[in-house]
Amino acid sequence: MRTTVRTTVRTFLAAAVLLSTTQLFGASFAASSRVVREFPVDPAGSVWIDNPFGSIDVIGGDGNVISVTADRTLMAPDTVTLKEAADAVALSFEGDTKVRLIRTLLPPMKNVRWTVAVNYVVHVPRGVNVKIGGSKSAEHIRVANVNGSVTVNGFTGVVMMEGVVGASVVNMVNGRIIYDYTQKPVARAQVQAVNADIDMWLPANSNFDWVANTINGDMLSTFNVKARSFNGSVFHGVVGSGGTTINTESMMGHVAVLVTGSNLSDAQSFRVNEAGHPSGGDVLRQPAKKIQMPFVNGDFVFAASVADVTVGEVRGNARVETGAGEVELGAVFGQCNVTSLGGPLNLGDIMGSLFAHTGAGDIIVRAARMGGQVTTDGGLVRVIYAGGPMTLRSGGGDIIVRQFSSIMDAETSSGDVTLTADPAQKTIKVTARTLQGNIVLNVNPRFAAEIDATILTSDPDANEMHIDFNGISVRREQVGNKTRIRATGKINGGGERVELYAEDGDIHISAQNVAPLRLANPK
Amino acid sequence: MPDCDSMRQNMPLLLTESLDPATRELTHQHIETCALCVTEWSAYKETWSILDTLPKLDVPARVKQRFLAEVSPAAATPNVVPFRRRGTPRWLAQAAAVVIVAGGAFYGGHRTTRRIELPTTPAALTNVQPAAPFYSIAESRVLPAASISPQIEGRPDIQNVQFTDASPSNTQIGVSFDITSHVTVTGHPTDKSMVRLLRYVLENEDKQSPSRSRAIDWVRSTYSHVGNPDPEITEALANVLRTEGNQGVRIKAADTLQSLQSTMTDGTRDALVEALKNDPNPAVRIKAVEALARLARSGGNLDPDMVDTLRKKASQGDENVYVRVKAAEALSSIQPK
Repeated sequence: MRTTVRTTVRTFLAAAVLLSTTQLFGASFAASSRVVREFPVDPAGSVWIDNPFGSIDVIGGDGNVISVTADRTLMAPDTVTLKEAADAVALSFEGDTKVRLIRTLLPPMKNVRWTVAVNYVVHVPRGVNVKIGGSKSAEHIRVANVNGSVTVNGFTGVVMMEGVVGASVVNMVNGRIIYDYTQKPVARAQVQAVNADIDMWLPANSNFDWVANTINGDMLSTFNVKARSFNGSVFHGVVGSGGTTINTESMMGHVAVLVTGSNLSDAQSFRVNEAGHPSGGDVLRQPAKKIQMPFVNGDFVFAASVADVTVGEVRGNARVETGAGEVELGAVFGQCNVTSLGGPLNLGDIMGSLFAHTGAGDIIVRAARMGGQVTTDGGLVRVIYAGGPMTLRSGGGDIIVRQFSSIMDAETSSGDVTLTADPAQKTIKVTARTLQGNIVLNVNPRFAAEIDATILTSDPDANEMHIDFNGISVRREQVGNKTRIRATGKINGGGERVELYAEDGDIHISAQNVAPLRLANPK
Repeated sequence: MPDCDSMRQNMPLLLTESLDPATRELTHQHIETCALCVTEWSAYKETWSILDTLPKLDVPARVKQRFLAEVSPAAATPNVVPFRRRGTPRWLAQAAAVVIVAGGAFYGGHRTTRRIELPTTPAALTNVQPAAPFYSIAESRVLPAASISPQIEGRPDIQNVQFTDASPSNTQIGVSFDITSHVTVTGHPTDKSMVRLLRYVLENEDKQSPSRSRAIDWVRSTYSHVGNPDPEITEALANVLRTEGNQGVRIKAADTLQSLQSTMTDGTRDALVEALKNDPNPAVRIKAVEALARLARSGGNLDPDMVDTLRKKASQGDENVYVRVKAAEALSSIQPK
């Protein structure tokens, strides 16, 4: 192959200089230039395009030459900065007939006062492999009539794949991804996005396996999709007799495979719609929702994959299940059952028994009148008032109870536990454990209990046992390279068992008079 | 003592707050431990106060020029015609010259002058109060008895008392001891001393009571109302986030950083990115990603590592769904520049 640069045109299309009045109004300066190049390339060679800012059009055709037209536009607030931009931005054409590399070069620490957009139109032989990368912002990235493999990696913009025959991989963060197959798919397509919608149009007689995944969006199709199944949030289906795999995955957007000529509005959703009580793991199949209501008259049953739920008052039982999101229930007159795979739970006055769990996040309960169970795999647990027996668990985070009147069982794998007993109660059974942190138990001076408190520490000088009651004996013993400090005895004549265990932390049983909390009765 | 000489040379600059922080600290430390220099330092401060009380006189240009030519001949500009003020009494010029020379000598501070003798006037002397040296919170210090009030307030807990008589030839004796005293430092949240004290409290947990967790709560409630809290506060929280073993404390540190977004430094942002990448506690990762999302929404200083981490987190199948959603939300608000 002979290497020939056919044409070089360097034209300044515009250099707008608006001095005086325009500058006063904050107008910017712009400069545009065009570069045209041609290079020979093998019909099965590769073309790599790396362009951070600007659109890219790659169009397949006949021949064995790459034709590149690059329009560069610079914008700056003043002429000095514009000059700096012009010096800083360079176009690079490298490689040989096997691999052609077209790049826009920017300085590593680009001055944010100027902007650049380089729009490329690249005509390539139909059989080449195309790889587009490094795109941060593009109005569009379009690849058309290319039979070779195509890879697109970018941040934001609309990706259009038209008549692409070979295997393709597209990975975007924001924007939209559109495929338009002009013939039946024969090669694998792997399309991933974070916030972008993915829409694919294929001929009606296509045969392929469809894998779809989205957390927040929907899975839609106008094809007759057979052999449908879910594995977690991942949907599997077969179109026609099956064949090559088309994998569409968008975290927050929808994914759709559509018959050419059909509309998205006609598409069928493959999420399970409103199954009343989805079993474990199924919640991610539910559509995403956002709900905000002042009150619900009766029971409130809700399930969604991604949901922010805010309900002021539920005058019945509440059952909420989400994959991710924030749940806030102001008051629940009946039983309350809230399960989230992740996200904070903020629960108000719960009259019936309470079960609340989140896979990650804080849980705040204003009042659990009948007690219950509150657990998080990681996060803070704060209960203002516990009227019945409570079990509190955290995979890592503090546990704080402002007042408990019944049996209390609190445990965290790392964090402090602070519990305050109802001053009106003479004795209450308490169990508290932390594998790294302090325990503070506040009780009234007349509180009676049988105390068994243990600290296991590698720093016995730093970690101490403070008990504001007489009648407690404290022993220290060496256990391996740690010291165990154990305090046992009866206070105020003895009562329910209070069992406290802290590793690498203090234990403080504090005698103090605190004002009891009083809850208002529901109307 | 050569050490004292150099320290005394620093004293005029210390008075005018012209020393660099390291030398300033060194000089203060020396003054606190050297009885002679304490006296010298008191004399300087007294003189400085007296100078304030002296009448201010206009210096005739001729006198000023002569003085400048004397102290810095190179600065003299012969092509400038001096303005000569006529009719000024000669005694006034002389008095002004005395003030300037005294002031210049003071600023230069190249002498170990014990005290600048000035004519005493009743008004000048009655107004002078002995300036208290800076109270520094220190692990140990040596104090001359003269600098301590004879009155002992309350009943401080004094232990581990030792008596020393290093040199029997003089009359100096020493008493050293550990003292537990309760100190209350008051000031504005933005006072540098207050910021440093809080930073120390946040970063040093040994034997701290109550817990560091409570210290973070207090910092949060205090500094979330301050317009632009000192970056040292957020840096201290970032260090807690990096090094603290207690997960409950790390959760609070990340949460507090989120509320103090306005003074987020690159180091703070990096600590949040690191927490999002590697912290085993999902709640810490949630707080970190929420803080970064807020930073992205506010158009704050983003770097490629942060964007890359958010992108990976959003796509990471085994990450908690809520963390993934928050990472995706953060990415949606990023506009590449």
